[in-house]
Amino acid sequence: MNKEFMSGNHSFGEAAIRAGCKHYFGYPITPQNELGEYMSEHLPKAGGVFLQSESETAAINMVEGASAVGARVMTSSSSPGISLKQEGISYLAGLELPAVIVNVMRGGPGLGDISAAQGDYFQATRGGGHGDYRTPVYAPASVQEIADLTYKAFDTADKYRTPVMVLSDGLIGQMKEPVVFPKKIEKLPEKEWALRGMGSGPSRLMASFHIDPAVIERHNWKLFRKYQEIEKNETMYETYMTDDADIIAIAYGCTARIAKGAIKRVRKDGIKAGLIRPITLWPFPSQIIKDTASKIKKYIVFEMSTGQMLDDVLLAVEGRIKVQFHGRPGGAIPTPAEFARIIYREYQLESKS
Amino acid sequence: MNSVFDFKDTVDIAWCPGCGNFSILKALKLAINELNIAQDKLVMVSGIGQAAKTPQYIRANFFNGLHGRSLPAATGIKASNPELTVIAVSGDGCTYGEGGNHFIHTIRRNPDITNIVHNNMVYGLTKGQASPTSERGFKTPVQVTGVYLEPFNPMAVAVSLNASFVARAYAADIEQTKEIIKKAVNNRGYSLVDIFQPCVSFNKINTYQWYKENTYYLDNNHDPYDREKAMHLAFENNRFPLGIFYINNTNKTFEENLPAYKDNKLPLFQRSNIRKKIKEFLD
Ligand SMILES: Cc1ncc(C[n+]2csc(CCOP(=O)(O)OP(=O)(O)O)c2C)c(N)n1
Ligand code: SF4
Ligand SMILES: [Mg+2]
Repeated sequence: MNKEFMSGNHSFGEAAIRAGCKHYFGYPITPQNELGEYMSEHLPKAGGVFLQSESETAAINMVEGASAVGARVMTSSSSPGISLKQEGISYLAGLELPAVIVNVMRGGPGLGDISAAQGDYFQATRGGGHGDYRTPVYAPASVQEIADLTYKAFDTADKYRTPVMVLSDGLIGQMKEPVVFPKKIEKLPEKEWALRGMGSGPSRLMASFHIDPAVIERHNWKLFRKYQEIEKNETMYETYMTDDADIIAIAYGCTARIAKGAIKRVRKDGIKAGLIRPITLWPFPSQIIKDTASKIKKYIVFEMSTGQMLDDVLLAVEGRIKVQFHGRPGGAIPTPAEFARIIYREYQLESKS
Repeated sequence: MNSVFDFKDTVDIAWCPGCGNFSILKALKLAINELNIAQDKLVMVSGIGQAAKTPQYIRANFFNGLHGRSLPAATGIKASNPELTVIAVSGDGCTYGEGGNHFIHTIRRNPDITNIVHNNMVYGLTKGQASPTSERGFKTPVQVTGVYLEPFNPMAVAVSLNASFVARAYAADIEQTKEIIKKAVNNRGYSLVDIFQPCVSFNKINTYQWYKENTYYLDNNHDPYDREKAMHLAFENNRFPLGIFYINNTNKTFEENLPAYKDNKLPLFQRSNIRKKIKEFLD
């Protein structure tokens, strides 16, 4: 397979087309417009439908429709637009409809700015819409991973009949890197549940409302069991130089890349630092964080926010060791030198104590 | 021109050189200056887009809302303080696309606000996608084979909903645009001023030259109280009419329908007896 040189935003599109995505519905917003542009040009050539909707709300409801009839479908936006999609994501979860939602995060809250940020972690992992549901969330840290995880997201969505989010940011979305794409999918999974016209069989109803709370309770427990399955099977993470580490950074997405740069620097000075990088944010790789805690002195959580993933780390660590946090919210982009300084400082504090 | 609405220092204006927004800004500032609106009685509202930046360049209080939501925010301001002159400014995408539903229902609700729409028939800020008013065939990086949707007709929608005031202006004609804005602000009820605005960067079809060739001003023979005529004008697309299409002063405004302001025009937050009344009620 050929290596290509592509932006993250274009790679979302190419990977989706290769995964058999036949529908893209979206509304323009910076910094992810290049994804819409890519889909508008290439999806029709692949026999699919590109549609610029009148709003994000319209787009996510179009996603519901296309998914209900069994198609592989994607929408994308950036933070403010993702907020508008939340009612639809809740609906997809309730109806157990597969779909892939891409969020190329920018600074917030409100309109914020158009720089890269990681302030939507809570929204993505806690189920930003209403109700008792979870959304699997992939957090790519490179253009290659955008391709791989977007491709995978379609499989996960179909396998578990759930909306899946790929949570990226303006930095990786706009960055160009070499990328090798997965092979074009040949056979899509059967969806015997899809609305395909009743014919002579029994009629199918897709609705998430039921007046009897007992029915909805049963449905919630069913979803819960599904989420347990996903937690068991789909958790993904990367460890980097953790084997001999005294101090370990935890970071995802572009922040993890910056942290890697910092770790390379401090390692030259003999500081034994490593990195755990969650690749799925939900399900969160709690186990490895918990297990590693007993072998090291300290975790440092790096985020481009005031501390959101931090909560999940603290839950996993259960107070075993110290957890230090360093964050830059609102679209400020940290540097490897900045992270390195934090690691030096924490390392020195640790050796003194 | 020097007015209280000018900033003392030069502000950095983030529009492309030659953009039609500069003329609209000028016309708007002239209009509010000539109307002698007290500075503490004016609130500007906008959504998001190039057009929505306009209030940033006017020395007035300003609520910058979400993309598409300028009109609900303006309604909220009016509900709480009807004494204010409220001018909502945004683009065609913001007002007719993302905010399309609000556009319809704000006209029906009829708050006494002025709604200025910089209609450049494109999404300027997000770099050139088609907007609801883009012409058929308009090609963009996203509409690669050209727009195939029927263009949104704000004038026809507003007249059909019996809006209080419906006008169209052209950015480059500052004097006429100023006069239309003044009439719109003075009108009691929801007033739409859709302003044709050249976008020199992303709309190479509807250029200054194009507007010159494809528009004309209504003359005194047009009776703005004639709804049917106004509807005919709204559908004209051979050459586009400019001026006041329609005025309807028969409907009460939103504020006039509110019991809270029936006998007392004082804004709610200024009424000191409210707490007393609540206490009395609770006692
Ligand atoms: C919820 C949300 N969706 C999308 C955007 C991105 N966005 C900002 S301005 C804009 C369109 C602007 O077009 P228009 O209203 O015509 O204004 P113009 O820039 O042309 O003046 C869009 C889509 C946003 N800021 N928020
Ligand atoms: S992009 Fe168009 S609308 Fe925006 S400032 Fe430039 S010319 Fe004006
Ligand atoms: Mg516009």
